[in-house]
Amino acid sequence: MIPLSWVVTTSAILFGLGLYGALSLRNAVRILMCIELMLNSVNLNLVAFSRYLHPEQPRGLVLAIFIMTVAAAEAAVGLAIFLTIARNRTDIDVDNIRLLKG
Amino acid sequence: MNAVAILYLLVAVVTLACAYGVVVAPKLMHSALWLGATFVGMAALFVLLDAEFLAAAQILIYVGAITTMILFGIMLSDIRDLRAPGEGPWWRRLSRLVLSPRRGLLPLLASAGFALALWGIARHAPWPAEAPPPSPDVTGSIGQVLFTDYALPFEVASVLLLVALVGAVVLSMREGVENR
Amino acid sequence: MVQLAWLVPLLPGLSALVLAFWGKRLARDGDWLGIGAVALAWLLSLGVLADVAWRGAEGSVGLEWARFAAAPGQAARSLALGFQVDALAAVMLVVVTSVSLAVHVFSVGYMEGDARYKRYYAMLSFFTFAMLGLVLADNLLLLFIFWELVGLASYALIGHYYERPDARYASMKAFLTTRVGDVAMFVGILLLYRHVGSFAFRDIFAAIEQGVIPAPSLALAAVLLFGGAVGKSAQLPLHVWLPDAMAGPTPVSALIHAATMVAAGVYLVARAYGIFAPAPQAMQVVAWIGGLTAIFAATLALVREDIKQVLAYSTVSQLGYMMMGLGLGAYTAGFFHLTTHAFFKALLFLASGSVIHALHHVQDMHRMGGLLRKMPVTGATWLVGAAALAGIPPFAGFWSKDEILLAAYRSATPALYWIGAAAAVLTAFYVTRATWLVFFGRPRDPHLFEHAHESPIVMTGPLVALAVPAALIGFWNSPLADHAFSHLVFFGEAHELEPSLTVTGLAVGGALVGVLVALAIYAWRVVSPAAVIRAAGPLYTLLKRKYYVDELYHWLFVQGTVALARLCAWFDQVVVDGLVNAVARFTQGLSEGSQLVDQHVIDGAVNLAASGTVAAGNQLRRAQVGYVQAYALTLFVSVVVGLIIFTMGG
Repeated sequence: MIPLSWVVTTSAILFGLGLYGALSLRNAVRILMCIELMLNSVNLNLVAFSRYLHPEQPRGLVLAIFIMTVAAAEAAVGLAIFLTIARNRTDIDVDNIRLLKG
Repeated sequence: MNAVAILYLLVAVVTLACAYGVVVAPKLMHSALWLGATFVGMAALFVLLDAEFLAAAQILIYVGAITTMILFGIMLSDIRDLRAPGEGPWWRRLSRLVLSPRRGLLPLLASAGFALALWGIARHAPWPAEAPPPSPDVTGSIGQVLFTDYALPFEVASVLLLVALVGAVVLSMREGVENR
Repeated sequence: MVQLAWLVPLLPGLSALVLAFWGKRLARDGDWLGIGAVALAWLLSLGVLADVAWRGAEGSVGLEWARFAAAPGQAARSLALGFQVDALAAVMLVVVTSVSLAVHVFSVGYMEGDARYKRYYAMLSFFTFAMLGLVLADNLLLLFIFWELVGLASYALIGHYYERPDARYASMKAFLTTRVGDVAMFVGILLLYRHVGSFAFRDIFAAIEQGVIPAPSLALAAVLLFGGAVGKSAQLPLHVWLPDAMAGPTPVSALIHAATMVAAGVYLVARAYGIFAPAPQAMQVVAWIGGLTAIFAATLALVREDIKQVLAYSTVSQLGYMMMGLGLGAYTAGFFHLTTHAFFKALLFLASGSVIHALHHVQDMHRMGGLLRKMPVTGATWLVGAAALAGIPPFAGFWSKDEILLAAYRSATPALYWIGAAAAVLTAFYVTRATWLVFFGRPRDPHLFEHAHESPIVMTGPLVALAVPAALIGFWNSPLADHAFSHLVFFGEAHELEPSLTVTGLAVGGALVGVLVALAIYAWRVVSPAAVIRAAGPLYTLLKRKYYVDELYHWLFVQGTVALARLCAWFDQVVVDGLVNAVARFTQGLSEGSQLVDQHVIDGAVNLAASGTVAAGNQLRRAQVGYVQAYALTLFVSVVVGLIIFTMGG
C-alpha cells in the first residue's frame, strides 16, 4: 500500500506550487488556477486521511465533495468578475487594480 | 514497495510536473491546458486511493466544467496575457526573482518554507503503518453520510451554487442590457 | 383489465399535456383528442368494472417514493404512492368517465367559437385526469395531491370567462373556500400519519383495527378529514362557493360542480370509511351536517330565478343526502345515490346548457316558457332527469333516495328521517317549478322564444345518452336486480335493510305532493306565485337572500377583519402614540439638558478621539499598499503563525 507520508508530501508540494503562483503571478486568471491547485491538494489530503483512518465512514470524501462545490462556485464568480474587469480596463493585472489602497 | 506504490509515485511525479507547468507556462492558454492535465492526474491519484466516486466527480467538475469554463473565459474575452513568468533567459528570470521581493522572493520563501514544513511533519508524524482494509461500498456510504449527517450542508451547498450561478450571470451581463 | 386501470387517468392526462402545448397546431384545436382519450378511458373503465363485478378481481400498483432514515427509537418510514382498484373505485371510474365523455362531446357544440377553446379542452382533460387519479389513489397523500389538482382545474374552469368580474370572483371564492376545508383535511392526514406512520389506507385501517390510535384522536382525525369533504362537497357551512361557481361554462358545471368533483368529498368519506366507521361521534357529525345541508339547500332552491342556481342548490342538497347516508352507516346507499345523482344531475345541467345555448345565454327562468315545443329532445331528456331528481318511481333517484331514507328511518335518530323526507318534498316542488317555468306554459318572452331552436345533434346526443342511465340505473340496486349493487359495493358485510312500505309510500307520496303543489301554483294558478310570496313575507326575503350567509361571512370575516384593523389603528393612535409622545417629550427634556453637557464635555472628548483616530489612520494607511497579493501573503503568514501558536499552546 502507498505510504501515507508520500501522499502528504505530494499534497504539500502541490500546495506550495499553488501558493507560490497565487502570491507571485500578476494575471488574475492564473491566480484563480493556482487557487484551484491548492484546493485540489487539500482534497488529496482529505481523501488519503479518509482512506487510512476511517474507511468505513467516508466523511473526508464528503468534505472533499463540498470543497469541489465551493471551488466550482468560486471559479464561476471569479471568472465573471474578471470578464467584467477586462471589459472595463482591457487587462486584468492585479497590480493595476488598487482600489484597496489606503 | 509494491506495484501500487510505484504506480502512485509515477502518477504523482507527472501530476506535480503538470502543476509546475500551470505556474510557469509562458502562455495563458497553455497554463490552462496544464491545469486540465493536473486535474486528470489528481483523478488518477484518487483512484489509487480507492476513491472512485471522487475521481469521477473530479473529472466531471474540474476537467469537464472548471477547466472548460476557464478556457472559454480566456477565449471569449479579450483578456490580454501579461508578461509571463517564464519569459527570458534563466539569469534574467533569477534576477527578477531575487530583485523583486514582493513579487519573487517573499512568495518563494513563504511557499517553499510551508511545503518543507509540511514535508517535515509528514516524515516524522506517527502515521499508521498499514491501511485498514478498504470499505466494500465507498460510494454507497458516501451517499449514506451525505444524506443523513450532512443533509443540511448539502442543501446549503445547493443554495451556494444557485447564488453563484445568479451572481455570475448578473456580473457578466453588460450594463444596460435590461433596457433593450 | 384491472391491471390496466392505471391507464385510465393516464390517457386524459396525456391528452391534457398534448393539448396544452400543441393544441393550437391540431385540427379543431384538438378537441377530438380530448374526446378520444376520454372515450378510451371510458371503455377501459367499463372493462375494469366488469372485471371487478363478475370476477371479483382487485388490483393495486405502487412505487416507493421516498424513504427516510430511521430516527433513533423508531422504525424507518417511507412514502409510497400507488393506485388501487376495488369495487368502489371501479364504479366511481365508470361514473367519472361516463359523465366526462358526455360533457366532452356536448362541449363541442356548446363552446363552439369560444376564444379559448383549446384551453377549455386542455383543462377539461386535466380535470378528468386529476379526478380519476383521486379515485384510484391508495393512500391519503396521493389522494390529497390529486384533490388539490382537481381544485386547481375547477378554479381555472370557473374562471374560464375571466373577462367577467363575477367569474373571476367566483373562481377565487371557490378556491379559497375549499382551501379552508383542505387545511383541516391536511391536518387530519398528518394526525393519522403521526399515529400510524403511513399514509396508505390499508395500513391505516389495519392500525385502527389493532387499536393503535386512541379513540379521541381517531374521532378528531375523522372530523378533520370530513372538513375537507365539507369544503369540496359544498356542505354547511362551506357551501357558499358552489352557487357562485355557476359562473363557469354550463358543461363545466355539469362535470365538475354537479357530477364528479363535488362528489369527491362524498367519495373521500366512503374511501376512508374505515376511519369514520369506528368513530361514532364523527359519524354523527357527518350525518347531521349532511341532513342539515340537504334541507337547508333545498329551501334555498325554492326561490331561485336562475335555472343554474336552482340546479346548484339542488346539487348541494343532494350531496347532503349522500353525506347523511354515509354518516348513518348506510355506506352502500350513500354511494349509490352518488352514482345515480351523477347521471341525472349531469343530464339536468347539460339540458339546461342546451336551453341556455338556444336562448343565447339567458338564464332567468321567468323569461323562458313553452320551450318543449321548440326543443323536444332537450325537453324530454330534462323531464327524465327531473323525474329522477324528484324521486318519481321508477327513475334512478327514487331507488337511491329511498335507500337513504330507509336507513335514516331505521337509525337511532329518526329526526334525520323527517328532515330527509321534508327535503324530498321540497326537491319535488322546486324541480317541478323549474320544469314548468322553462318548458311549459306560454312563452313569457316572445322575442327569445321566436329565436329559440333545438340544439345540434352533438349536444342532444349526450343528453339522450345520459337519459338512459338516469332512467334505468336505479334498477341496479332494486329488488328486481336482486340488489346487485349492494353485493358489489359494501363496507364490512353486504346487507340489505328490510324494506319498509311506510318509507317508500311516504317518499312517493311526498314527491307527488311536491309536484302537485308546484303544478297548482305555477300551472293551474290555484294561487298565484305572487300571493304565495306575499303570504310567506319575511320568510321569502330570508330565502331570497340565502339566509344572509354571504352577508354573514362578509360581515364576520371581511368586515370583522376591517373592524379588527380599525381597533388596532385606534389602539395605535391613542394608546401607543400617546405613550410614544409622552416618552418623546420626556426624552426631549432630557436631551435638552444633556445637550449642554454634550457640547462642552463630550464633544471635546469625541473630537479628541476623532483627531487621534485620523492621525493613527494616516500612519496605518501606509500598511495598505493596495496589492491584493500582499494581503494574501500577510493572511497566509498570519494563519501559519496562528497555527504554530495554537499547536505549541495545545
